[in-house]
Amino acid sequence: MKSQHVLNFMLGIYIFIFLAYLFGPLIIMSVTAFNSAEFPAITPWECFSWRWFQEGKIAYDGQHLAGLSTDWRLHDGLIKSLIIGLGVVVLAVPIGMAASIVLTQVHSRLRTIFYSVSIMPVLFPGVIIGISTVVLWDRIATIGGEGFIADIGRNGIFLTILGQTCFISTYCFLIFVARLQRFDQTQEEAALDLGASQTQVFFKILVPYLMPAIASSAVIAFLASFENYNTTVFSILSDQTLTTVIASKVRLGISPAISALALVIITLTLIAAIIYEVLRRREDRRKKERQDRLLFEETQDSRLKKETTKSFRIPKSIYVILFVLVVGIFGFNHLVKNNLYGSECVAAAELAKKSKFSEQLKLLQQNQVEEKALEGGDLGGNKDYGDIFGDPNLFKDFGGFDTKDE
Amino acid sequence: MNSFFIKNGPLISTYFIIAIVFWLIFLIIIPQLYMLDLSFRPNLPPLLRGGPDDVHTIVHYKHFIFGSESSQDPYNYVDIGVFFNTILTAILVTIINLCFCYPIAFYMAKVANPNAARLLIVSLIIPFWINELLRSFALRILFAGEGVINNILMDTGLIDTGINFIAMDIALYTGLTYAYILLMIFPLYNAIESLDTNQLEAAKDLGSSTFRTHWRIVIPHAKAGIASGCTMVFMLTAGALATPVVLSSPNTYWFTQLIYQWFNMNDNWSRGSAYSILLLTASVIFVLLMMRLFKVKIGEIVR
Amino acid sequence: MSADVELQNVSVTFGSFYAAKNVSVKIQEGEFFSFLGPSGCGKTTLLRAISGFLDLSEGKVLIGGKDMSGIGPNKRPTSLIFQNLALFPLMSVSDNIVFSLEVRGVGKIKRKKRADELLELIALSGQGDKKVHELSGGQRQRVAIARALAIEPEVLLLDEPLSALDLKLRQKMRTELRAIQKRVGITFIYITHDQGEALTMSDRVAVMNEGELEQVGLCGDVYDYPNTSFVATFVGENNPFYSKVLSVDNGIVKVESQGNTFFATAGRIDEKQNHSFSNGDEAIMFIRPESIFIKNENNKLDNVFAAKVVTIEFEGNLKNIYLKTESNMNVRFSVPNAVDTSELLNNKEVELTFSSQKAVVLPKGALAVD
Repeated sequence: MKSQHVLNFMLGIYIFIFLAYLFGPLIIMSVTAFNSAEFPAITPWECFSWRWFQEGKIAYDGQHLAGLSTDWRLHDGLIKSLIIGLGVVVLAVPIGMAASIVLTQVHSRLRTIFYSVSIMPVLFPGVIIGISTVVLWDRIATIGGEGFIADIGRNGIFLTILGQTCFISTYCFLIFVARLQRFDQTQEEAALDLGASQTQVFFKILVPYLMPAIASSAVIAFLASFENYNTTVFSILSDQTLTTVIASKVRLGISPAISALALVIITLTLIAAIIYEVLRRREDRRKKERQDRLLFEETQDSRLKKETTKSFRIPKSIYVILFVLVVGIFGFNHLVKNNLYGSECVAAAELAKKSKFSEQLKLLQQNQVEEKALEGGDLGGNKDYGDIFGDPNLFKDFGGFDTKDE
Repeated sequence: MNSFFIKNGPLISTYFIIAIVFWLIFLIIIPQLYMLDLSFRPNLPPLLRGGPDDVHTIVHYKHFIFGSESSQDPYNYVDIGVFFNTILTAILVTIINLCFCYPIAFYMAKVANPNAARLLIVSLIIPFWINELLRSFALRILFAGEGVINNILMDTGLIDTGINFIAMDIALYTGLTYAYILLMIFPLYNAIESLDTNQLEAAKDLGSSTFRTHWRIVIPHAKAGIASGCTMVFMLTAGALATPVVLSSPNTYWFTQLIYQWFNMNDNWSRGSAYSILLLTASVIFVLLMMRLFKVKIGEIVR
Repeated sequence: MSADVELQNVSVTFGSFYAAKNVSVKIQEGEFFSFLGPSGCGKTTLLRAISGFLDLSEGKVLIGGKDMSGIGPNKRPTSLIFQNLALFPLMSVSDNIVFSLEVRGVGKIKRKKRADELLELIALSGQGDKKVHELSGGQRQRVAIARALAIEPEVLLLDEPLSALDLKLRQKMRTELRAIQKRVGITFIYITHDQGEALTMSDRVAVMNEGELEQVGLCGDVYDYPNTSFVATFVGENNPFYSKVLSVDNGIVKVESQGNTFFATAGRIDEKQNHSFSNGDEAIMFIRPESIFIKNENNKLDNVFAAKVVTIEFEGNLKNIYLKTESNMNVRFSVPNAVDTSELLNNKEVELTFSSQKAVVLPKGALAVD
């Protein structure tokens, strides 16, 4: 008996560590979003500030570290990501639906081949898909000469939509296949027998049945497209999506703006998850109530008549909420006491850093400090990455990352 | 074919055929075939392509193995090294991932009560709705020279100067393990969940130790899930780009970074294609190996 | 408007397997016609062939005199009620019922009116907005029927519609179906393996076995005058006495069966002729359980034989008495529950008697497997 307890205890610890491993980095990152220091950190804690959500700052060494609301690249990438996501949904969902339906209609030998080919894109590394799309369409564009074909064959958005559709269609395909498996074929026959044409059967019987799959595959397609990086980074050519912008920040320098972005995304995700869960629970409850009501109608059994309880029960999660509140109050108190927030704090910190910088400059002029010390820490320098993202000659016909007037 | 059109009506049949041909042929098969072909062609500027110089050659593959003519070494140690480092690291990460996730998956599937299990599932999914890049950045913030971990360690006086987690590849390994946990856990979870709990109880009743129960009963049953999880994790790790870029040290390259270089910096698309084919081959071999080893079919691997 | 249905030499093959073999029958308009037979006998095949879901390998299907080859199920004047009903779960009851109108472009108001009419016909007025899964089994049956009748087809095809219902409901639905058919007046083609169903509801019945038509006729004729051994044993209960023909005289056949000599009537080949037997032929004599009586002063018929009681089975309204003859042959007969059988103890030897008019001699052939 005891060994079972010990085992369970260890399992509990293991799970705790596991969850800490999963959530820890994200939580820490979220906290760094509020630290006004240039590099995301918890200690030293400079000041509590919203700056990274807003305007960012111009660092004392001339680097502009943009905050979320002023980062034009981010905004541009976001819009492109939305466009591409939409394009992918429009293509991938119908493709997935067509493929899944046809799968049910072919004989078994062809079916295996068909299924295997449909699954293949998921087994390819994403970079391969991006590359192959680009090389193929470049060739097409070359052959196509001037005009529309040439333009579109080199358009990053077009290519990205195609490349992503390649494997996202597989996701949609799988979702539809799962839904179709439980479809009652006799419904199609019944509809035919009642006089419907094939097209009518499709739109009146099959599509309504597939609606949940259409909805969920559309959502999944959009999300998969939105967050995709491996394929996009090759196919987007001179354009940018949100993810490639984020990746390029590695070269431009990591600032807490990234933490701010992450926190925004995390919050949106949590809100979406909570809304979904609440809606689902409400739907379940409503369905149960309806069933009970019907049963009651039929049997008129007084045992089934339940008063709908309007009382509000305290959820168990109250403890978590209390904990967060306590920590929050404590932290807030600490901040206020030490004057660690607000614009005075930020201004003071800036002043301190500026003076430190001018000191270092003086030292440099006295040839006592190596140049390396000025490059701002272990990271953020171009050379540390073998120029993966830093090649200024990267896209010759593109204006480059830094040419927009600031 | 005729019966296909009759069965679906002319309008819908046309839609089906267009959609499927476009997808399978045009988006899947032809690009790969073209890339394969390109990998065998020399790197010509656009004007010379399709001309007399455009013949089939294995110069790029040769380069991978032997290096350029100007180098001293008999073999291309750098590129080959990167390739094998990538593959081996991917295998290592896969194994670590498997060991890491198996207890959790088992707990969720068999030990926990339904509410706890559901809560765990939700809490597992949430981090993965965050972009892989951002998650890697989070780890970066933790592991950097000025990062959180180093700061905490220095502040508490445990160490004097920062530990370079990144150069030591600890950051990379952590990041890679972190990235694809979800894809290992869920196939495992589904596979283990389908095991009849009575079997476990019967085994315990017959005196089997925990280890033996897992080895003889749970693992064979979860074969498909293990194969599926390992395949997906390996492929995504070997083909990863975001995480290595953010977390690897300047001295360690990931093979995909190499491909990126050939493509975008040296503008050598043929060579990039060749290297891509190498990566693809490695992936395919791994998948086939998994399928043979675990005796599962391809349909069981993909979710 | 109703139509007749004619099958001319219809065969349906899958590879070398004959699902239906050379079936020819004419079903009159307005008739309640049943195809009766065990699983795999080909009745479902015929139904699907008539409704257009299966192509014929040979022969023709004519509805109302018109050849249906090449005409798809959505264009035939038939409506099929599926075994699993195949109601549309995502639509309301009303929408289900008038679906056939909807696909023909009939307007909303007209559809609502027709839906209400039909709801009244099946006694479900006011329930039109419910979803299918909110109805009971019997109610769903009726919705399926209403849906099939909405467009007023010429022929209604029913694929074992009652097999999923429990006994009481089944009996109730039998009566209702018959009533609906009489009221609407269209041709009903019904398939089932339950001969009780077939006999109570139909005008005529066709017995099928292994893809072939064994006999077609009025219910009473099929029961009293089976044409083959299969029909004799599939429809109703029957006692088969394997025997050899001794002599034939004016329609009365004298047979010898394991020590007993019996007189029986020659079975029919069809309405016009009887089977002809020669001396020494192997045959089977059939006598139904309800035609066997215990020999006493009241019951003295032209056939007598002895047997020992094995067991008595209580079936509710009947008592089934199982006996064995000296030659180890199993016999059963039935008496109404009210009859006193207290004397029939185990192993008691009794003398049984039956009339030659009720006994039928048919050529030796396969019996229906129980």
